[in-house]
Order: sequence, then structure tokens, then C-alpha cells
Amino acid sequence: MNQDIHIPALARVEGEGSLTIRLKDGAINDILLNIYEPPRFFEGFLNGRYYQDVPDITARICGICPVAYQMSSVQALEAALQVTISPEVRLLRQLLYCAEYIESHALHIYLLQAPDLVGYESALSLAADAPELVKQGLHMKKIGNDLLKTIGGRSVHPVNTCVGGFYRWPAVDAIHAMVPELEWARQASIDTAKWAATLNYPDFEQDYEFVALSRLDEYAIYDGYIVSSKGKRTPPEEFEKHYLETHVERSNALHSHTVQNGTYFVGPLARLNLNFKQLRPIARQTAKDIGLKLPLRNPYKGLIARAIELVHSCDLAIELATDYQPQGPSYKEIKLHPGEGFGVSEAPRGLLYHRYVVDEQGLIRFARITPPTAQNFAQMESDLWALAPTVVNLPQEEASLSFEHLLRSYDPCISCATHFLNLHIDQE
Amino acid sequence: MINASDGARDGPSGTIKIIGIGQSLRGDDAAGLAAVHLWKQIYQAGNMHADVQVELTELPGLGLLSLLEGSRVAILVDAMHSNSKAGTVRVLTESQLEAFTTGAGSAHGWGVAETLLLGRKLMSSSLPGTLILIGIEAGQLNLGETLSPQVKSVLPDVARLIEQSLNIGPHPE
Repeated sequence: MNQDIHIPALARVEGEGSLTIRLKDGAINDILLNIYEPPRFFEGFLNGRYYQDVPDITARICGICPVAYQMSSVQALEAALQVTISPEVRLLRQLLYCAEYIESHALHIYLLQAPDLVGYESALSLAADAPELVKQGLHMKKIGNDLLKTIGGRSVHPVNTCVGGFYRWPAVDAIHAMVPELEWARQASIDTAKWAATLNYPDFEQDYEFVALSRLDEYAIYDGYIVSSKGKRTPPEEFEKHYLETHVERSNALHSHTVQNGTYFVGPLARLNLNFKQLRPIARQTAKDIGLKLPLRNPYKGLIARAIELVHSCDLAIELATDYQPQGPSYKEIKLHPGEGFGVSEAPRGLLYHRYVVDEQGLIRFARITPPTAQNFAQMESDLWALAPTVVNLPQEEASLSFEHLLRSYDPCISCATHFLNLHIDQE
Repeated sequence: MINASDGARDGPSGTIKIIGIGQSLRGDDAAGLAAVHLWKQIYQAGNMHADVQVELTELPGLGLLSLLEGSRVAILVDAMHSNSKAGTVRVLTESQLEAFTTGAGSAHGWGVAETLLLGRKLMSSSLPGTLILIGIEAGQLNLGETLSPQVKSVLPDVARLIEQSLNIGPHPE
């Protein structure tokens, strides 16, 4: 490459982002990753809103991971209002989260990252040559969305979750009816992991600090303790003391770093590396069958981690759906009082932290939302710098693609919240 | 004038779907949702035809394909960005999709145009034979804002276009 690279709109990235690579005397002089991050807006937007509106508003931050925003927000608000949910509610929330993992991971594996790894410009061109592969991804995604709709009432932004539980229990027959499709998806996930292991991944490893939720008794998605590959253990209420956010002038996203000023990495690689023992047996067996060696320190291999998590999520969903037999009320009555609460869950892209302060009328007086992409932001930039020397001598287009591939491997969720048709009309 | 035969393909013999797409918290991005809502109020109050289904969806991405599956005619109503005046309304058939750019300007890399192109490659026979897109030029897309006056003022026209679109082609008995 012999001139600056500017990618004004990163394709196949969840939302709006841009990347500029500046050269000076043939060497990389600056790397500017700019990400538009609406959660900052939502923090202000929530101020003064009634607490029960929060799950449905925050769900709109993203069309791919609305459940994550709901799960972190309801847990934070339940902590603030001192509500203990019933075991049945927790199980149904786990099932809802499985649905999101299935649709989100299938989307990223087959339609966002796979084209890079098998040498196609996009899923459209991949679909022309390998339609069955893309169809499989779409079918898996549809199963996730269908389960989301069965529990949450809508396939994109579910509306059934409330602080204290669910507005109503989903119909038992409808949940049980999902089991055959989930069984198909479990087998398809195992096949996906086997296929993922055959792909050629760029040779790129870094010494990351991985951070994820963890529990002794299950693969932590819904809740847990915050752990780091450097041995730190942090309770959710102390998250902001150990993981700090700072403003970066060129971007309206905040950059996260550890209190020691180091970058860290959240997401499927972190979860798999830190919590492998807690995976469902069938997911561990699949990892063994494909010869997976941990820790995985190659961000491109996040695709393999997602495939293993797909197996786990489908298997867990089958059990939860089969056993679904709700008892008693679907939500707890809430007595209002002022309070502060913290909620952390694992979005498909990584740890998602919420904190709220509620007043005596149930109105939000403070909101803090720290999404996974913001936490990975500094790590992404660090990786771009690490990649740069191997790319700088490539032809311009190839160099540009290499940077894009790396960023896409992170599955950044930039929460575009805009989708309008872009129409270009040539005027003669 | 809407010409239903333009770009019509063989498709399933199911319902007619009216799909409003938009982000309700982002200004004129909600135009498609608001237009379909208004159409229901004006033309369908208590009188919904059994073969017509309405979907209001935010950021459907590839989920749009699931919404389209099995219907024989689909009318998509969405905000649009075509460097025209806010409130400009265009009716497009699927064959005019080439005019739509692809890329990250669309939600999650999968906007309406790319999603339809992918659907036609992989599952064309289960998608509607006739697909009509009604685009409403967005003005401001600011988070937390309501619709602009320019977009609000054309909503009755769009509702009328939706109704007209229902009356084209083989109407359900």
C-alpha cells in the first residue's frame, strides 16, 4: 500500500463505523477507528423514564442482541428494587438468551465472517457458489428468531420481558413445539464446528487479557462473577472500579481499559477460554472432536468459539424447552423505593454492564450502559497496530481488506439503529 | 402509477403482507411504521381482510426473509435516503432494486435491498411473486426525535398508496 486507507463505512459490521490508516514515509503513522455508539445516547434518553420502560427501550439499541440489553437491564433494576425472581423466570430467561445466541452466532458465522475466510466479497457472492452453506446459516438464524418470537412475542425486539419476570408465560405447547427444530440446529451446529475447523485462519496471535462472566455451576451467560485471564475476580457491583472508560476525541464511543491501563478482550474467545469446563458435555465433546486447543488467542478463531457456543446453546435450549412447565405468577409485584443496582450478562459479543439509580417514584435518575464493543475498542485498535507491519507492503485493496477482516472477526456491534434504504440516483 | 406486473415472479399463493419497517426512536426512520399504522386506522379499522397481514418491524435485517416467506404479494414501507427532499415518496418494484446501494448504510450490513437480493438467490420460490416498496425520504434521523413535519404531512398519501397497492393484481376473494 502506498497511500492512506480510509474506509468510510465498514461493511458487514453491526452498525456504523469507519477506519482511517495514515501513512508517513511508507510506514503506518496513525490508525483511527471511529465508531458511532448510541448507548451513550440511551443513557441520557432513559433519564426520567419509568423503570419498567427500560427493558423495552434498551432492547432497541440493537436488532441483533436485544435480549442482552434486556437481561442486563432487568437484573440491574431488580437489584435496585430488591426483587428476587422465581427460578422458573430465570430458566425462561436462559432459554430466551439461547435464542439470541443461536440467531446472532449463526448470522456472524455464516453471513458476516465466513465470506472473509473462504475468499468471498460478501454473503451474496458466497451464496451464489455455496447456496447450501448460506441456507444452513439462514435456517439456524430463523430457528433462533422463531424461539425469540415464541417467548418474547416478536422475532426482533421481544417485548415480554419485564422487571420482576415476564408479562406472561409463553404457551407451553408453543415452546415444546420448538424442540424438533432445535434438535436439527444442534446437529447443524456440530457440523458447523467441524466445518469451521477446516477453514484457513490468518496466523495472528496476541497475549490478550480475557474478561468474561463465570460461574462454577454453569457456562455463564445470564449472570455470574467477572473473571479475568490474569486471575482477577470482580463482583458486578465493583465493575466500574476495575474497568474504566475514557473519552477519545476522534470517536463518540468511550474506550475501556483496566484500572492498570491495559486493554482487555471480551466475547466468545474470552468465555470459551475461561469457562470451557462449564460447557455442556456435547459442546466439550465437539471441541475435542475437532482437535481444539485452548487457550485460543487468535481473534479470527472467534468463529470456532461461536460454533462451539452454538452447540452449547442449542443443547441447553432443548433441555430448557423440553422441561418448560411454568408454575405460579410470571412476575413479582414490585414495591417502589429509591435504590441503585448493577446487572451484568454476556451478550453474544461479550460482557454487557448496566447500572441504574431509581427514585422513590420508580423514575430513572442515572443510567450507565457499557456495551461489549466499547470494551473491545482499545483492543481492536491495538490489534490493528499489531497487524499493520504485515500488511503495509500489500497492494492497497488487499491491505484494506486485511484490516476489515480483522475488525469483522470481533463481530463489533455498533448498534446502528438506522436501517433506511440507501438509494443512489444518477441524474442525467 | 403502480404496475404490479413489473418484476412479478412466480411465488407462493398465500397472503398479502404489508410490512412497515423502521426504528421508532430515531426520527424519520420511523416513517414506514407510522405510515402503515395510519393506513390501518384509515382503511382497515375493524375491517381487516383475512388475507391481509400487517407486520411492524424494527431493524429486521435478514429476519425480513422470514416475514416475507409464504406471502404472494408484499408491500414494504420504509424510510429512504435518495438525496431528495424530506417527505418525497417513491414507489419501486423489485426490479428497480439495482438502484439501491449496499453496505453498512443499512442495518447490520443487511438492509432491505441486500436482504431481498440474498433471498432471491436462495429461496426465491417461497418469496412473494410481487413485491412493492414504498420509500419515504427521511429528513432527520436523530435519536429520540419524532417525525419531521415534512414526513408527517405525506403519511396520508402513503396510506392511500398502500391501499391502492392492495387493489392491484389478483385480489384475495
